[in-house]
Amino acid sequence: MWRRSRSLEGMTHPPTSDLDLFSDEVLTDPYPSYADLRALGPVVHLPANEVYALTRYDAIRAALGGWETFSSAHGVGFNPTVNEALMGTSLASDPPQHTALRAALTENLSPRALRGLKSQIDAKADALVADLVASGSFEAIDALARALPLEIVADLVGFTGEVRGRMLAWGKAANQVIGPLNQRTAESFPIAGELYQWCSTVSKADLAEGSIGRGIFEAEERGAIPPGAAGPIIHQYLAAGVENTVSAIGNIVALFASHPDQLALVRKDPSLVPAAFNEVLRFWAPINAWGRETTRDVEIEGVVIPAGARVAILFGSGNRDPLHYDDPDTFRVERNPVDHLSLGYGVHGCAGQGLARLEAHAVIDALARRVERLVVGTPTRIPHNVTRSVHALPVLEVVTA
Amino acid sequence: MRIELDRPRCEGHGLCEEAAPSLMHLDDEGELVIDRADVGESEAALAHAAVRVCPVAALRIA
Repeated sequence: MWRRSRSLEGMTHPPTSDLDLFSDEVLTDPYPSYADLRALGPVVHLPANEVYALTRYDAIRAALGGWETFSSAHGVGFNPTVNEALMGTSLASDPPQHTALRAALTENLSPRALRGLKSQIDAKADALVADLVASGSFEAIDALARALPLEIVADLVGFTGEVRGRMLAWGKAANQVIGPLNQRTAESFPIAGELYQWCSTVSKADLAEGSIGRGIFEAEERGAIPPGAAGPIIHQYLAAGVENTVSAIGNIVALFASHPDQLALVRKDPSLVPAAFNEVLRFWAPINAWGRETTRDVEIEGVVIPAGARVAILFGSGNRDPLHYDDPDTFRVERNPVDHLSLGYGVHGCAGQGLARLEAHAVIDALARRVERLVVGTPTRIPHNVTRSVHALPVLEVVTA
Repeated sequence: MRIELDRPRCEGHGLCEEAAPSLMHLDDEGELVIDRADVGESEAALAHAAVRVCPVAALRIA
């Protein structure tokens, strides 16, 4: 995909665009802008954001797999404050430091560790969907997309009391501050700081007995992870485990509401549930942009990103690349795009994807069994620096199966 | 062609098993077992599909 250029001579600079990735319009509806960027090339320099954007599938997949060149060690955000705050976490490190941190993070979160949870999560999702369907009309984001991951993550990590009530706001702010130093980031830093502060003082006794969160502190006590490593892991569970799953589940409901023919396919063949989730993730990536830093000059298809540059990985743009996916702007559950980019790939691939799959598959399965069609009002979106999600989606009527 | 597993990196997501059930499976403990690492021409496409789908890049073709 790229090779070390012996000299920059004869190499061209990437094309430039005046697009601002973090403007309200692009954050809420990025796909037309992504198409424009892809047409310019696999790498586009965006001076407004001081980044080189990766726009096409092959370039993104190769960058995600190539941590030696596209490093996370200087942070994955778009402002220096957040990059400094995340130093030393598995999110913002590379192997070999990353390896032990990742192992500690996933020890209780890998599909292996979560095997016993499937029936419990299926039952929770089904009971929730059954209640909502019976009620006839409901607010899909609050009552389903937010409610389910909140309950599951809170129970799993062992959050109790007041903290449960802060999880959504904390998770949203922790992701918001990944963006550049705009007003959204400025307003979110105090709230993200509350979470950071809480995670730096939380102790074993604050987390429910038998929970994964308590297990992390026990791992710290017996020396399986370094002293002080438990707090940042709790931080990651909360920051990553709620906001993005809320987005994905909201997207499931919204896309099936607008594509009843696709819901019908899953109803007819329930083995399509995993394929349907892959297509939801491909079609609407929960995360718009994520950062890396180049460790050397990198050539991609004849253009060069200089060493030490901030790179913006546009997952959703790669997912709509017509060079990789046939008819990419159509939502088709039978496509089963197992190699979509929305959960990243390689050493930094989404650590919670096993849990996200359990939750999302349970929701799709319950909807497919109980619903023939959802009649919905107009979905609304609120711009967020990193996470793209439906903010509100009124379900006006449920046509039951 | 040979399928190689980076054991410490494998988290047991199991997507490879879905792609190539004749070549590998997750055991009762959720650990990946490569049933046949040496793969002939006829199953090369399956092997490549399994490698490609691993979300944490724990598999490769040597």
